[in-house]
Amino acid sequence: MRKTDNFARRRRERLLVFFALSIFTILNLVPLLWALLTSLKDPADAFTIPPTLIFEPTLEYHRQVWLENDFVRFLMNSLIVSAGTVLISVPAGSLAAYALSRIPRRSAGPILSTLFTIRMFPHMLLAIPFFVMGSYLHMIDTYPLLILALVAINQPFTIWLMHGFFLEIPRDLDEAAAIDGCSSWQAFRIVILPLARPGMTVAALFSLLLSYNEFLFALVLTGVDTKTLPVAIASFGGEDITSWSLSAAGAIGIMLPIVVIMLLLQRHLVRGLTAGAVKG
Amino acid sequence: MVRWQRGLWLFFLPSFGLLAVVLLWPLAYAFYLSFFDYYLGSDERSFVGFGNYVALLTEARLWASMWTTIIIAFGSVGLEFVVGFALALGLYRLHGSAKVLSVLLFLPHIVTPVVASLFLKWILASNWGLLDATLLTFNITPPDWLGDPFWAKLSVIFADAWIFTPLIMMVLYAALQGLDHALIEAAQIDGASNWRILRHIIIPALIPAIIFTISVRLMDVFRFFDIIYVLTGGGPGTATETITMYTYQLGFRMLQVGKASALGVITLVVVAVLLLSFNKLLNRIYRAGDI
Amino acid sequence: MTSKHVNAVAATAIATAVLAGGTAVAPAQEQIRIVSHRQPALEYYTGQMQAALPDGRVTVELMPIDRQMELASITMSSQSDAIDVVYLNDTSLKRFAANGWLEPLDELWEKYKDEYNLDDFPASVIDSVSYDGHIYSMPIMTNTELFFYRSDLFEEAGIEPPTTMEEYMAAAAQLDTPRRAGTIMSLKPVDAALNEAHWYINAIGDGWFDEEWRPIFNNEAGVEAITMMKEMTQYAPRGFTSHANDESTINLQQGLAAMGLQWFTRAAAMDNPEQSRVVDQIDWVAPPGGGARLANDGFAISKFSSADKEEMFRMLAEAASEESMREGARYAMPPRLSVLEDEELAKQYRWYPAARRALETGKAFPAMPDFLDVGEIVTRHILQAVTGEVEVKAALDQAAAETEELLRSRDYYK
Repeated sequence: MRKTDNFARRRRERLLVFFALSIFTILNLVPLLWALLTSLKDPADAFTIPPTLIFEPTLEYHRQVWLENDFVRFLMNSLIVSAGTVLISVPAGSLAAYALSRIPRRSAGPILSTLFTIRMFPHMLLAIPFFVMGSYLHMIDTYPLLILALVAINQPFTIWLMHGFFLEIPRDLDEAAAIDGCSSWQAFRIVILPLARPGMTVAALFSLLLSYNEFLFALVLTGVDTKTLPVAIASFGGEDITSWSLSAAGAIGIMLPIVVIMLLLQRHLVRGLTAGAVKG
Repeated sequence: MVRWQRGLWLFFLPSFGLLAVVLLWPLAYAFYLSFFDYYLGSDERSFVGFGNYVALLTEARLWASMWTTIIIAFGSVGLEFVVGFALALGLYRLHGSAKVLSVLLFLPHIVTPVVASLFLKWILASNWGLLDATLLTFNITPPDWLGDPFWAKLSVIFADAWIFTPLIMMVLYAALQGLDHALIEAAQIDGASNWRILRHIIIPALIPAIIFTISVRLMDVFRFFDIIYVLTGGGPGTATETITMYTYQLGFRMLQVGKASALGVITLVVVAVLLLSFNKLLNRIYRAGDI
Repeated sequence: MTSKHVNAVAATAIATAVLAGGTAVAPAQEQIRIVSHRQPALEYYTGQMQAALPDGRVTVELMPIDRQMELASITMSSQSDAIDVVYLNDTSLKRFAANGWLEPLDELWEKYKDEYNLDDFPASVIDSVSYDGHIYSMPIMTNTELFFYRSDLFEEAGIEPPTTMEEYMAAAAQLDTPRRAGTIMSLKPVDAALNEAHWYINAIGDGWFDEEWRPIFNNEAGVEAITMMKEMTQYAPRGFTSHANDESTINLQQGLAAMGLQWFTRAAAMDNPEQSRVVDQIDWVAPPGGGARLANDGFAISKFSSADKEEMFRMLAEAASEESMREGARYAMPPRLSVLEDEELAKQYRWYPAARRALETGKAFPAMPDFLDVGEIVTRHILQAVTGEVEVKAALDQAAAETEELLRSRDYYK
């Protein structure tokens, strides 16, 4: 019975693959788990050879990092910057993407590839003029400057992403609205926008991810007042014997909100990652 | 033109207006700055024409950092692609039961890169890092992961791979799910080996996704900054100083913004040339229809 | 409009938009913001500054020194008012003052001279916080590098603490074991590596520059100095190229290194039973060979600060008062003569006798505003030499060439 043999062989293979993948997954998560353990340790347990795996866990350092070290203020900064970026980038990008999806392909093509080219510009090339211009305008260490910088690097991707979503909404709908006497603005607002909501969720999610995680611009354009979480944790000094547990607690704290959001909105995440990849 | 299309150009206004002000204008300004000797400390600037470009292109440090960038870029993208593709195939093989695994595998990519780099630093740090502490327990003296010029480069490649392999895996996995499964089953019934199926059915169908992921990763890796900044700061010496780190050093530590802008422009040209030739190459292979 | 106002407006706008009319963020009362390097003495003195004004008026941000310099120079070069008071040592002070980023304190100094007994600071200290004839910062501490060594191990091995670099190397070699490094070496760029190199370049080499600011650190003696440094690294702990003062302090405290160069400000931490496994086992002498770094650290007021400068000056003077410094003497050498000459200190703190001798043999960084930029160049090449990527001579020649080019562009050679 060749067919059953084949079936059994494929089953065995699948089990092997599952086993290998599981081991890889566990190894892959070691750095994360190690940081989590460190954040629950007293420094005395953090500096040992062999590494201490069994110890009395303490939440003391999580408490300290948030209550005694200004991390709440940095979190607020991160939230303000992220919210600002999302609120500017997504609406503006969606409008442009809609128009782009409704003009003839031969005009849209070059615009899209220009946007794609802009994506590859080295961020450093943008950070320098932003910094110099920001200095002249006395805007270094202000929220608007960082938000504008993040919008600048985020906008091409947002347009690209939303364009894909609008293409999926049939043109007939716009035309029907036009026959009913709607202007293009009314057609967009009443007919198209409700249908584009999932797309805008994806775009918002990615703008949020970018602005929460971004480091270079945050490093050079913020200062004492507007410092975001990534900059704060990087300048914390990860090696000092007393602050190792503290840094780990901070790092874990920064990671958690974004991981929770991403797990909740996982469906949308895959859609955004593959925008442009699968559909070409 | 249909009536509803008439007001359409107005829709471009906010976005393209923004892009002009916050992207094109600063870029033009950076280009302009690159022709000046401009030390931000004293706030003096003098026009030097192509002086900055000449100075940069004739110094050893630029070429050294260029090489370092290329080694790290190709090393990490290569590693990410191979591992990412293997993982995607594995997940594809498992069908439904892969759901939980794929989420867990993706986790390192969601973590803020600065934080992820810190996690790795705590593994690789000498003496107290997990890896060192474990090996030292068994009386094995490991190399200095972040302090030896050779190992530091490898550590940076490894760090980049840890953070970005999940991205490649996810994109390729999504692309695999779009495959026509009947085609593969037919081949299996014909008794085709796994290798032949991969080579003749799966890879050709995935070419667009592969081109996309590799190009996007290549452009990102050329400008990546946070990982090196946190892990090695470009050291020891200049062993892991990429072109981005060098630009940062020039612009924001030594405050020579003119020269730093020129370096930014040079980077842009290099990345553009590299990507164009890469895409041309892959497109030719793609058009030829076989690998 | 200052950046503080821009922020308040932006935060309010966004918060309102996000919370749809929720509580808006009200602009806070003008705060005084201090940015400083994190180490025990500065933690103490910034704490004194906070205590000098009502609760919540003063916020302090502490971070590793290279990050702090980066943040301060980025902020100041953009003329932002986000930092009011900044920690500077004698070298960074010159750079910041030369760039016009600091508020001259002469008038306030004159006005409060008697109230805070400011004449108590010796002329050499005033000199190190001045640039171009103006006083720019409030001296907080005199810092000197000391030679830390494990007296128990030295006794066991029957050797005396070293007085020359050769003896140092021999001792490091003798006490080096697989689990315990012979000597700490702090070679993390820029600050730590520059301090370590400064010692070798002065003790073995002929110093950094000649009188016309031409580099001489690449002459024969300089090459010999860095070659010795390279040889010394075989006795250094693992990871020394990324070690700054924090890591070296931990290595000494944990008994993982037998000796080495470290700052006075870290001495007290050796005897702190909560952190240290070597309480009472560390002793100090002046660095062998002489020429290790001396520094005078202080706090300066930003030119761009929008806070009340007189109030800030008084806050600094409070922290630098005789009373405050008497307590702070545990963490750092107080620059006030009345405190420094107190015989009680030596009895109370074991490391004072060595420090007094180190003051005589030590050497400050070259008195130029651009030495930090020189450091950016030099430390990179020295690290290349020490890790064996480039020959010592070639690395130093290259460093000298780049240094000369930098100084030429800053008009050093007329």
